[in-house]
Amino acid sequence: MAKNQSVTRLRPQSARKSDSLKQQHHKLKISLRLFIVWGVLVLGAVGLASRLYYLQIINPIIVYEQAPRGRSLREIARGQQTDRIKFYTPRRQIVDRNQNVLATDRITYELYVHPKLFRRNSKPVPPEEIAKDLADILRTKTPEEFLELFRKRKTGIRLANNLPESARDKIARLRIDGLDLRPHYSRLYPHEYMVAEIVGYINKDSNRSPQAGIEYTQDHLLNRKQSSVKVKRSFIHTNGQEQKIFHLGDLNPSTKLFQFDSLQLQLTVDLRLQQAVRAALKTSMDKYDAKRGTVIVMDVRDGSIRALVCDPTYNPNRYSDYAGDFSIFRNWAITDLYEPGSTFKPINIAIALDAGVISPEDTFDDTGKIEIGDRIVRNHDYRKKGAKGDINITQILQYSSNVGMIKIMNLLEPEDYYERLQNLGIEEPVHIEINGYTPGHLKDKIEFITKEIEVATTAFGQGLSLTPLKLVQLQAAIANGGYLVTPHLVQGLSDFEGNSHYSKTFEKKQVFSTKTTQEVLAMMEQVVEDGSGYNSKIANYRIAGKTGTAQKINPATGRYDKEITSFVGIFPVEQPRYVILAVVDEPQGQYTFGSTVAAPVVRSVIEALIAIEGIPPASQE
Amino acid sequence: MADKSQSRFFLSYLTESLQTFVHPWRNIDWFLLLLVIGLTGFGSLTIYSIELAEEFNRSYQHLSIGGIGLVIALTIARFNYRGLLRWHWLVYTLTNISLITVMIAGVTAKGAQRWINVGGFNVQPSEFAKIGVVITLAALLHNKNTANIFTVIRTLAVAAIPWGLVFLQPDLGTSLVFGVIVTVMLYWANTNPGWLILMASPLISAILYHLYFPGWLLWTLIITGIAWLTIPVRVVSALSAIVINCGAVELGNVFWGLLKDYQKDRLILFLAPEKDPLGGGYHLIQSRIAIGNGGLNGTGLFQGSQTQLNFIPEQHTDFIFSAVGEELGFIGSIILLIVFWLICWRLIWIANSTKDNFGSLLAIGVLAIIAFQVTINISMTIGLAPITGIPLPFMSYGRSALLSNFIAIGLVESVHNYREIKKNIFKNT
Repeated sequence: MAKNQSVTRLRPQSARKSDSLKQQHHKLKISLRLFIVWGVLVLGAVGLASRLYYLQIINPIIVYEQAPRGRSLREIARGQQTDRIKFYTPRRQIVDRNQNVLATDRITYELYVHPKLFRRNSKPVPPEEIAKDLADILRTKTPEEFLELFRKRKTGIRLANNLPESARDKIARLRIDGLDLRPHYSRLYPHEYMVAEIVGYINKDSNRSPQAGIEYTQDHLLNRKQSSVKVKRSFIHTNGQEQKIFHLGDLNPSTKLFQFDSLQLQLTVDLRLQQAVRAALKTSMDKYDAKRGTVIVMDVRDGSIRALVCDPTYNPNRYSDYAGDFSIFRNWAITDLYEPGSTFKPINIAIALDAGVISPEDTFDDTGKIEIGDRIVRNHDYRKKGAKGDINITQILQYSSNVGMIKIMNLLEPEDYYERLQNLGIEEPVHIEINGYTPGHLKDKIEFITKEIEVATTAFGQGLSLTPLKLVQLQAAIANGGYLVTPHLVQGLSDFEGNSHYSKTFEKKQVFSTKTTQEVLAMMEQVVEDGSGYNSKIANYRIAGKTGTAQKINPATGRYDKEITSFVGIFPVEQPRYVILAVVDEPQGQYTFGSTVAAPVVRSVIEALIAIEGIPPASQE
Repeated sequence: MADKSQSRFFLSYLTESLQTFVHPWRNIDWFLLLLVIGLTGFGSLTIYSIELAEEFNRSYQHLSIGGIGLVIALTIARFNYRGLLRWHWLVYTLTNISLITVMIAGVTAKGAQRWINVGGFNVQPSEFAKIGVVITLAALLHNKNTANIFTVIRTLAVAAIPWGLVFLQPDLGTSLVFGVIVTVMLYWANTNPGWLILMASPLISAILYHLYFPGWLLWTLIITGIAWLTIPVRVVSALSAIVINCGAVELGNVFWGLLKDYQKDRLILFLAPEKDPLGGGYHLIQSRIAIGNGGLNGTGLFQGSQTQLNFIPEQHTDFIFSAVGEELGFIGSIILLIVFWLICWRLIWIANSTKDNFGSLLAIGVLAIIAFQVTINISMTIGLAPITGIPLPFMSYGRSALLSNFIAIGLVESVHNYREIKKNIFKNT
């Protein structure tokens, strides 16, 4: 019983005990359950908050492939929101004196393809289809070749550049992702090689760096800073399509935008004349199979150059075709020295007249040949005609007598002669707007004074060297009353109507007296009228001129057995306006003289000038 | 005189009738309701800001749907939630029928069938299905204090049908939510936590195997240990745990093959959105940039440049948090987190202090929905989770989601309104 009692007493106890244990266990379980749920929630919240702290407070730099690396989120955001819209300011046009466009900018397109992005309406497009479409539009390769390219590289293949607007439209109409058309501006020279030696060219790459000619020297006028405006970028939803839009937002519109002018760089060159000149030179050069030639037409009153042709020349639109021969980009009328020969004789006459050692009526005994030191100098026609006897100065020019010239120049003190030559600025630079001018070259002064032969050779235009341009400048002084003008090609900036907005002024310097030049001009007229210059004669027009046939050293043989023929003409004599110099280097054949090779070129040029400028005849007969 | 007494009578009548009218709601959790109303209003304001430049601003719609939702929530709160116990099979059936309807006559958008057209409105049944599942599971689990293995299996079997239907739509996000609802409610029903880990083990196993092989080995070992300790038939269960874990890897591979490309992208890209910055990674990158742009104080309401300039597509729905992050900054984001956290706190408190298992489970189910969606949604906007198409509760624009959230809150309010409070919250009777 007692046992039982104790059992019964114990039982509830143990039951109670186990109950409270169970309850305690349950309580623990419940609180654990709550604790875990809470824990998970708190953990989640802390996780989110710390990530937010990282993104928003620490502002991390994220690696983001298509954005510039090393930028923080905020910087990327700023970069995305704003954009600089570049307003393309085209390089100024270059026009001739009659507003003919010689160089201009136009929009062309580069086509890049990214085969890994080929999609239309976010659906992949087979590359075969794209290859076929592109082959139809570009016509540069077959579809198979395009496919091969697509297979080789997955992105960034440049398929074409200089695509015109029409091709761009066709490609855009395909509506395929992965075809990237990038507009850029390319320089177009509509007249190709016609004015290349003057205008020069710029590189086709993105730098567009000028390489030669006016493009190079006048870059400060031609090239204009691109203006840009900062805008906010946004997207707009129209018809379910997302489009990028730009708006100024609260950003200040740049006033730079409105500083845009349409002025163009006007040259003194006359395109029609340039064409006529080139045709004339070409005819003669072809006839005599000459190595090279140049013609310069200059207005003697101010030094403005109306035409400047060098042949051979290049097409500035395809300058890369001449990669093997850089000399073709050189304007040799400006860069190369030559011995002017007889065309320099009128200059010498002017020097002598100015020095007062001769007067126009003086006569000299042309002995045909003359002994200078240990050398004998002969006239070019000594073998045919021998000694000519007493001839006047005009006749000396007409026959281009070397002996006569030596006798005249020997009348001057060599030192005086040398100083007068120097006064002409032969050794000084001429600031023309084409790069690479080479100053001329006289013999050393001591040598000149002490060696008799130096004076003698200089008297008939050998032994000194200068550029064709310098000779034109000197001849212009004969034509314009003795002034050394500055040869130039740039007229200034003008608007589309031809009104000048900026022009340079050029200085001139008197080197001969007006009386002297008039006398020399009269003599030179006789050269054309009845002398070696007869080939340039045009009925009813008064033309003055002088031929030149200079020997030059053949580098192959080391002897003077090659020629450089030239003719300088001044026109019209009654009121000189133009000096025309034609130089043809190394003509081949039998009768290759200044009178036969170069004089006809000058005549053609004068004919063209008469037609273009409408110059009336001097006298009616 | 008569007028005065009459008017006094009228006034007292009015007060009385008003009291009678308000009486059914006297026990609801006003704090929770205010939090939810505030969130909806704030969501509306954010949508307003996002669509400031747009012709058609959806913020008013959000607000009016919120109003309708509030009415529905209050109506539900008026009635005793226990009434649902009788109808829970009906709820379950309706849930499944609506999901099947979507599969048959749904509107397809973005590679998935999610909507059905009801009288001109697109309704997304999977949103309502979440509530259906919570009610069904609460009803199934409320009878026993501790769920035994058969209850667990039964629960899983019942949940599997709507889960499968959602998964097949395919709506990966919602199917994940279902998984979380089931797990949390089972846990709350005192299921052995070991079993829950075992349940989840194949999924973790499949992921671990591809990420870090030694981790997978360790995991399999742990799972085998848990199986050994928690399931009565030790040897069999341990062995089957190993088999299941190995099988899960293979099954995972098969599953991965079944996923659509865009789903795969979404799942992986968040780890490295830079791999496809213009495609699938675009959202993630832009969202991060916007949030980062906010800084401490934010750019100011209506001033978020990334938001205002529409850099983030679909910002009014899944990516609404990025607008908050940009315009209100770290401070605003943290305040928003705190509000969500307070809602969770109320839900846990209601779940924990309700004597009735059914009510407690309902509250915890709703907690599972809201807490999980908030966490995953914010995580995906800040690059911690893949894009799964889970909206931010009460904030994201979406009529079905907003209404279903209000229905859920209405249920919890009803629990609060009609429950018996535990004397001791740790006492489970």
